[in-house]
Amino acid sequence: MFETVRSTSPGDRSLKRAAAALAVVALLAGCGGGGTTTPSTSQAASPAASGGQSPAASSTPVAYNGPPVTIEYSIWGDPQEITSQKKITEAFKKVEPNITVNVTVSDWDAYWDKLQTGLAGGAAPDVFAMDGPLFPDYQTRDVLLDLKPYIDKEGYDLGQLADQGVADFTTADGGQYGLPRDLNVIALYYNKKMFDAAGVAAPDGTWDWNKLVEAAKKLTKDTNGDGKTDQWGFYTETTDMENYWLSLVWQNGGEVLAPDKKSTMLNTPEAAGGIQFLQDLIYKHKVMPDPAITAETGDAFEQGKAAIEANGSWLVPTHTAAGLDFGIAPLPKGPVAQATSVNPTGAVVFKGTKAPDAAWAFVKYLASPAAQEQLMQLHASLPVSKDVLSGPFATAFDGAKVFADSLAYAKLKPSFKGYNEFAEALQGELDENVFNAPNKTAAEALAAVNDQLNSLLAGQ
Amino acid sequence: MIRVGGRLPTIRRPTGPLAGEERWAWLFLAPTLLGLAILSAGPIIAAFGISLTDWDLFTAPKFVGLDNFGQLLADRKFGIALRNTTFYTLTSVPLGLVLALGIAIALNRSIRGIAWIRTAYFLPVVTSTTAIALVWFWIYSPQEGLLNQVLGLFGIQGQRWISDPFWAMPSIVIMSVWQGLGTSVIIFLAGLQAIPQEYHDAAAVDGAGRWARFRHVTLPLLTPSIFFTGILSLIGSFQVFDQVYILARPGRPTEATITLIYYIYEKGFQNFKMGDAAAASWVLFVIVAVLTVVYFRLQRRWVHYQ
Repeated sequence: MFETVRSTSPGDRSLKRAAAALAVVALLAGCGGGGTTTPSTSQAASPAASGGQSPAASSTPVAYNGPPVTIEYSIWGDPQEITSQKKITEAFKKVEPNITVNVTVSDWDAYWDKLQTGLAGGAAPDVFAMDGPLFPDYQTRDVLLDLKPYIDKEGYDLGQLADQGVADFTTADGGQYGLPRDLNVIALYYNKKMFDAAGVAAPDGTWDWNKLVEAAKKLTKDTNGDGKTDQWGFYTETTDMENYWLSLVWQNGGEVLAPDKKSTMLNTPEAAGGIQFLQDLIYKHKVMPDPAITAETGDAFEQGKAAIEANGSWLVPTHTAAGLDFGIAPLPKGPVAQATSVNPTGAVVFKGTKAPDAAWAFVKYLASPAAQEQLMQLHASLPVSKDVLSGPFATAFDGAKVFADSLAYAKLKPSFKGYNEFAEALQGELDENVFNAPNKTAAEALAAVNDQLNSLLAGQ
Repeated sequence: MIRVGGRLPTIRRPTGPLAGEERWAWLFLAPTLLGLAILSAGPIIAAFGISLTDWDLFTAPKFVGLDNFGQLLADRKFGIALRNTTFYTLTSVPLGLVLALGIAIALNRSIRGIAWIRTAYFLPVVTSTTAIALVWFWIYSPQEGLLNQVLGLFGIQGQRWISDPFWAMPSIVIMSVWQGLGTSVIIFLAGLQAIPQEYHDAAAVDGAGRWARFRHVTLPLLTPSIFFTGILSLIGSFQVFDQVYILARPGRPTEATITLIYYIYEKGFQNFKMGDAAAASWVLFVIVAVLTVVYFRLQRRWVHYQ
């Protein structure tokens, strides 16, 4: 649930939660309520990418020669993604006439509830989407198929895919329990009109934290003189580490977990300094709106109320649909390092599938240049195929190259068993005492929650 | 008991303990009892079994005895969930009953279009919680929200409501009470209309005023309806989930709003701890069962049947 970063506006998120709530209500017998499911509206309200060439035969030799079979493929996502995924499965059918793929799409919360009950009952989809941070929770419970034997047998070249994407689904003992399907990184969005009006130069690769604060102060304005800020210099989401504060921790030389993932390293001056910077943007420099309010009212940048937003590459379709004239720049460098977060979505295979060969053929196709070029047209994520990343994607839209180039210094969002529980405990403390109200400094809050986090990690 | 057996053709004269109307009674009860046994008792017993294990849903459960219950008592968050749920029950149940009674009395008259007005009060009951929560989400919105705008007309400074730890639970209670009013109003209306007019007339002849008639005629004769509505609200209030799940912000219920059912959901479906979730479910089950028994015991003291 803490991956709600994928949904962009709270309005959208509330719909997703609403739909998911109904699914859950149906599961909990005796619980009141009910009604009709609200379809989740688009996060990727992109001008549904329809142009471009239709994916032709993959350059990868596909080796399926089994009997005709139908496989189920489940993903979370929005209407635009359904269309896109269906185009991919249709193109796949042309390459592999013996394999029919049925796609089912759910909103984020309902997706995981359904998947868990399906896996527990032995009736899970053959292939399904997997979020990087949650992967260990499934892999360690022995419900995913190791694809390493296929990779070795066919001599499949993992080097053609973005390294971080591959690494997120590799286990310590050398297993490969999935291939990446797409990636998301964090960068700066800036409103060109507001920058011009304030006479501030557009952000570029040279920006650091100080420069960000300086520019954001100039861009924070009370335009109608009523004593209240109408235009904010900066905006981000604070409710998940991925949106911004994780990158800040890294930029300040901090880390979330120790290398063995058995304890947290958040209770350090380096990590605290990163999170403190975000609290300061809100309460000290006063260049960012109260997160408790924007969590309800939505993305201030999308609404034209903030000049800069630090957030994920998944927001391009949303900001485009909002009619904003915006640019994309790398995240400002921190005192110690340049860093951003990358989070892959993978395609994994259910261990109990009756058609493992067909499932592998499809997973492989999803990562192929043909499928990647199709998926890329949504502009909602980065492709994982290196050829597509440096080729068509780099020029797909203004700023795409910034995303692609940031992979050079991007680090994987932490991925470990018990991620959800860890994130709940941590974010609960940060939201309540650091971001939504400055009750504590970042260091005080991290110290307060340290023992709890460590006991959660030790208990996994 | 209603004589059902006598009206139906019987092939032979019934004898023995399951004879006659008792047999028919069991027959008619059978579908409900079967449903209860399979759909309620089964899962309740199974949940107790699960509560004695560590089980992540996918791998084989491991027997741990009563450990999960011990952990539950030590879990600060469980205490918070229990506290929030108790607050919800203590506020929403009495508030709901009093408001519903008032509305039912106001609606218990024959004026033009009364059927439409009664329907309007019932609409929220048949509307999905999702739709309702989205509307209330807008009402409570800190910036353009209806509530703050209305308060602004009177010069009252608006609140954050849902994201304010103090106001979050009261905000959810208000929405839930509004949503659930219709059911209680309908039951009270039926109760009110079952009171014979002669009683009121007799009391009036004896010189009872409006308040005295309400206090000594209406209220005592309405106690069975109040009892019934009360038990439904009480049990329902311990199961509050969807309102919290949808309305609580940002992103998830905080310590101010987490309830028992949400705690169970989070343990089981978010954290892969079905054993803990089942243990918490059993604690909830026992709480509701005990309260129900106590409530039934107390009914002799104040419930009057005609």
